[in-house]
Order: sequence, then structure tokens, then C-alpha cells
Amino acid sequence: MNNYTDISHWRQESIKHVSTNHYNLNTLHDEVIRKTVEVAMKKVQREWGSSPAPFAFFLMGSAGRFEQSVWSDQDHGIIFDGNADCEEYFLKLGSEIAVALEMVGYETCEGKVMASNPLWCQSIADWKQQISDWLEEASWTSLRHFSTFIDSRVLVGDNNFINEIKKLAFTIINNEPRLYLRLVENVDFIKKGVGVLGQLLPESSGEQSGKIQLKQTTFFPYVNSLRLLALKESVTDSSTIARFNKIKEKYPSIYSFEKYFIQLLQFRLNFQQDVRSYQQVHLIPLDKLTKQNKKELKLLMKKGYDLFSDTKKIIENECSAWL
Amino acid sequence: MEIALMDNLWVVIGTFLVFLMLGGFILLEAGSTRMKNAGHIAGKTIFTAGIGSLVFWAVGYGFIYGDGNWFIGLSNFFYGDASFSGEGLSPAVDFMFQMMFALVAMTIAFGGFAERAKLSSYVIFAILFSAVIYPVVAHWIWGGGWLADHGKQDFAGSTVVHLTGAMAALAATLVLKPRIGKYNKDGSSNDLAGHNQVFTALGVLLLWVGWFGFNGASTFAVEGAFFGFAILNTQLAAAAGAIVAMFVAWVLTGKADVPTTLNGALAGLVAITAPAGFVNPWAAVVIGAIGGFIVVFSMKMFDKAKIDDPIFALSVHGTVGVWGTLANGLFTVPEFAFTGQAGLFYGGGFTQLGVQALGVVTSGLYAFVVAFVILKVMDKVMGGIRVTEEEEIVGLDLSEHGGYGYPENIPHPNDQKGA
Repeated sequence: MNNYTDISHWRQESIKHVSTNHYNLNTLHDEVIRKTVEVAMKKVQREWGSSPAPFAFFLMGSAGRFEQSVWSDQDHGIIFDGNADCEEYFLKLGSEIAVALEMVGYETCEGKVMASNPLWCQSIADWKQQISDWLEEASWTSLRHFSTFIDSRVLVGDNNFINEIKKLAFTIINNEPRLYLRLVENVDFIKKGVGVLGQLLPESSGEQSGKIQLKQTTFFPYVNSLRLLALKESVTDSSTIARFNKIKEKYPSIYSFEKYFIQLLQFRLNFQQDVRSYQQVHLIPLDKLTKQNKKELKLLMKKGYDLFSDTKKIIENECSAWL
Repeated sequence: MEIALMDNLWVVIGTFLVFLMLGGFILLEAGSTRMKNAGHIAGKTIFTAGIGSLVFWAVGYGFIYGDGNWFIGLSNFFYGDASFSGEGLSPAVDFMFQMMFALVAMTIAFGGFAERAKLSSYVIFAILFSAVIYPVVAHWIWGGGWLADHGKQDFAGSTVVHLTGAMAALAATLVLKPRIGKYNKDGSSNDLAGHNQVFTALGVLLLWVGWFGFNGASTFAVEGAFFGFAILNTQLAAAAGAIVAMFVAWVLTGKADVPTTLNGALAGLVAITAPAGFVNPWAAVVIGAIGGFIVVFSMKMFDKAKIDDPIFALSVHGTVGVWGTLANGLFTVPEFAFTGQAGLFYGGGFTQLGVQALGVVTSGLYAFVVAFVILKVMDKVMGGIRVTEEEEIVGLDLSEHGGYGYPENIPHPNDQKGA
């Protein structure tokens, strides 16, 4: 496959065979994105010459966590081992990748978390400075950027590029435990999915009315909890399941929630077989849920809230001991 | 003589308070609608108050209180009298107080026009509403008409003012149809949020204070200081309505929605308007609380039925107006029943409840049918009572008045910079 159209067709053809299996689906996404990036690299090479420095192309967001659904948007960046002169080349590569991925079936990121954006396409030295600046600033936006970066994994290139920067981040945070508390505050707001009467709370107006926002109400508590604990335990892995496994010995009670997260991944896939766009992928129409589905979803939400609450307690207790 | 003068003074104070309620409506309506219509919403309230006042003076008062028949009064047109007998209210004081109620009812009706009606339709409808809709219902209940003969209880106007206004608003919103962008093709409803919740909240507070005159001065006298009791009931019902509506919104949606809370306070006030001088304080709390409860579901019901009610007039004044009127049939205390009978819970049986229901159905039906026919005819004769799509999108401030209520915040569409 040497062009984006072929990759797009291949994606469409292949995805239906793996759309009910979380692992196979995400392996396919990786393959599709990897092939697309390779074609983009060749194209840029033809037009602008060879890469001026070694680099790594990395994924973030749900792709970075190996938790993509049938449809997904783009979240990616580039890290290169070179000086500022190389930036222009890699931004061109980043732009080509963003265009290519859109053609293949991945919508561009509204927040512009893409390698075409200078913020997400930097040299190793600049990335280190960037991470340090974000943590120093510790504002709502800078910590959002930081959390996005921490969910990264290299898809093309040297994995050590990312790990080196993550380790720097762990060192900075360990030296300044108040940052854990700021990071907790940054994700503390959870959109309510269940009302006080135990009823599910769908969107109440607009085209999405009657639909449950699965991402905000159910996924976020799991994903955010495990990211916080991964930071605390200096775990470089980006996927929530891998993070569960890395912290299971120290926090067995937290690990006990892993089965619910796996159940949630499957639950989401079960309702996405008819979904035709990224906008719909995190929405579940309430009227499509059976009584049993609703019960299951409420359990998954409740377990997510419990997990986040337990995580918060762990971080607050341990941090107050350090402070 | 001294007591009579104090009666007059008290009712004049009530008149001022009720007229200030129009200020409350200006803030409530402007805050509940979008910025591009704010100047229009505020301005039309003032000029329709002008129209309503003149029409009420010319014919409205006479249709209500003139000598006539069971259906309508037929004297006292172009009313004006400087006399004072030394007892009761002077004719001018009484006239002014009654006029304010008519203006409030008309302003409620215009809630159904919000954000899409032509200015000219406000002019015509203000005249017709003040002449042939409000006065007829007011005559039936307060002017010695057929419902007064049945002992219908409506202390300050849950039916006469609020239900009548709301039924006209319902007719208007049905004829005008929903605002552009309110409903999607798949039938789902968008929240066209008002532009200023602070205005809306201040509007509610101003209405709340005005209501002390609305209900309190409806005693028409100071003897026995019974007005204080009516005001106490008013306060309790509004308080209960606000709390219950906020709680219900929180239970249903997980969020203590501000507009719903504000509507809850208004619902409490509307609900207690008919029973204010007929019930005990505990009942006022219950009546207000139920008003706050049903207003939330009524708002949802109208939205689901695709009846676009931008200011929630149908729910706050209509649905809750019905509840308030029926509440008399349940909670009226025998010793306060200066007209009609005790309520169901005080051994009065179903008689009063039946009378109240009869009043609601007939008054509501009359107001709706007449308003609907008038608006349909206006729609035909005027080539539509709704502005064009372009005018609605650009906003009624500009299309109907030539300038924005917030000129610094909205760019003029013709101010596009050239090359």
C-alpha cells in the first residue's frame, strides 16, 4: 500500500472484522496509522529530502492509551534529536501526517494536538524545557497539556525519546509533591452520569439529547485515576490496562477495578457497531439500552467514581505525608 | 374617613408595586432571551404598557366593572372620576389598581411572542387583548359576571391575570411556531439559552417584591391588617417554589439549573395568587412547593410537544395558574372564605373545587380561543405576524428598531470591512 486511498480502503475493509475485539481493533488502528505515517514520510522525503535528524512519532489520547474505539480523532506529536533548524522539516512532516490521517479516516483534533502544531513537534531539548515549563506554570491548561503528553507512546521511531522525557517529568513531580494535588484538581470535575434516584442522566438538549456521554461520565474516572497513579509510581506505560498491572502490587485495592475497566471497553464496543462518525462514538442512546445494559452501565459508572475517590484519597494521604 | 384614606393609600402603594412588576418582566424576558433581541424585548414592554393603559381607560374598565350582563360590563367607558365618597376606594385609585393587573396579564401574553413576532403584531394584539380578552374573563370573576355568582375564588388573579395571559401566550406561540434553531430535524430540542441570568434573577426578585402589592393590596383595605397575612403567604409560597424547583432539577438532571430555580420562585408566586387570602401559611408552603414541582415537568412537557415557550410563560403562568386556582378548592379555610366555600380539606367537599375547575376551564378556553382567532386573522390580514427569517436571524433589535440593545457587543451586519 503506497497511497492513502489504498490504506483507507484497507482500513474500512478490515475494521469490520475486528470491531468487537478491543485488542485486535487497536492493533489494527496502530497498523493503519503506522502505514500512513510511512507513506507520509516517503512523500515528504521525496519533496524535502531525508530527515535531518533521528525522530520519534508518538500517539496520545485514546490512541496513546491503546484504547481507541471504532472511530477516533488524531492526537499525535513528534520528538526529534536535533537543533531548531530541523523544526521546519518535521512540521512539514507533521502536517502531511495530519492530512494523510484525515484522508484515511481519523478526524483532525479540534484542540490541535497534532504534530503539525509547533507545540507538539519539538526537539528533545525543547520538549524537556516544555515539560518543565508546564509543571512550573501548573495552570489548568498547562496541566491538561502535560496529562495529554503523559498518555503518549511511540509508534514510529525510538521509544527512548519519550521515556527520557517522562522520567524527567517524574523527577520534577517527585521533588514537588504539591503537583500531584494540582493534577488531581485538574481532573476532579466528573460529569455526572447517574442521578440521585439512580437514573442515568443523558444529555438534555440539542441533537445529542437522550444520549449518554460515555467518555466524560464513565471513561474519564478510570483513565484519570490510573494516569495519576502512574505518575506517582513513575510508570512510563500509557495504556490504562498496563498501568493497572504496574501498580497492582502496591495498590491491590485499585487493581481490583481493572476488571470493570475491561468490561467498560467491551461495553462501549458493543454499542458502536452502527456508529458512522467520530462525533457519535462516545454517545450511547438511552433508548437502545436494555434494562440489563442500564444496570451494567450504572455499575461501571459507580465503580469508576469509587476508583477515582480511592485514588484521590491515596494521593492526598501520601502527599500530605510528604509535604 | 381616616381608615378609608389609609385604604386608598395602601392600594396606591400596591398600584406602584404592581406597575413595577413590568420592570421585573423587562429584566426577566430580556435576560431569558438572546442579546440581539434585548432592546426590543425591553422597549416593547414600555410601549405596549402605553397602549394597554389607553385601551383599558377607553373600554377595558367598562367591560369589566360597568353595568352589563353575565358576560360583560357595558358602561363606565373612558373612565375618569375625581369623586370620593369618603368610604372605600376612590374610583380613580380603584381604576389605577385594576389597570395594572390588565397590563401584567398583557405582558404575560407577550411572552409567547418573544424573539420572532413583528412589532406591529404587538401593537394590534395589545389593543385587542386589553379590549376583548382580559376584560371579559375579569368581568366573569371580579366584575359580577357569571363565575362570581358561582362563588369562584381568585384572590389576586391566578386565573384572571396569569391563566388568561398564559392562554393568549399559548395561542401566540402556536400561531408563530418555534424560533429558528429551536428544534432539530430529528425532533430534538436545542437550549437557546437566555443571554443574562443575572437580569433574569433580578427580574424575578423585582416581580417577587411587586407581588406583595399584587396580593397584599388585593385586600383593598387596611382594616384588620389582613394584607400582612396575604403577604406572608406570598413569601412562603415563593420560597417553597424556588427550593423545590431547584431540588427537582438537581434530582432529574444532576444540576441545580438556575433558570429552573427562578421559574420555581415565580411558580410559587403564581400558585399563591388565587389562594393568598384564603389559606393558612402551612398550606401556602404546600401550594408553592407543588407549584415549584409541576413547573419543572410542565417546561419539559411543552418542550417535548415542540411548543416553543422562550420565557416559560405557559408553564409558570398557565400550568401553575391552573394549580393555584384549584388549590383554593382544597385548602380554603372556612373563616377566610369571604366568597365561595371552604376547601376539600376543611370539610367543604368538592363544591369549591368544582367551581374552581369550572372557572379554569371556561376562562382558559375563552382566552385561548379568542386569542387564537384574533392572531390567525391578524396573521392573514397582516401578511404574517412573524418577522422574516433574515430579520429573526439578525435580531429584532435591528430589524424592528434599527439599533441593537447592546450596540458595542454585536457588530452591525453592514459594517463589513472592504478590501
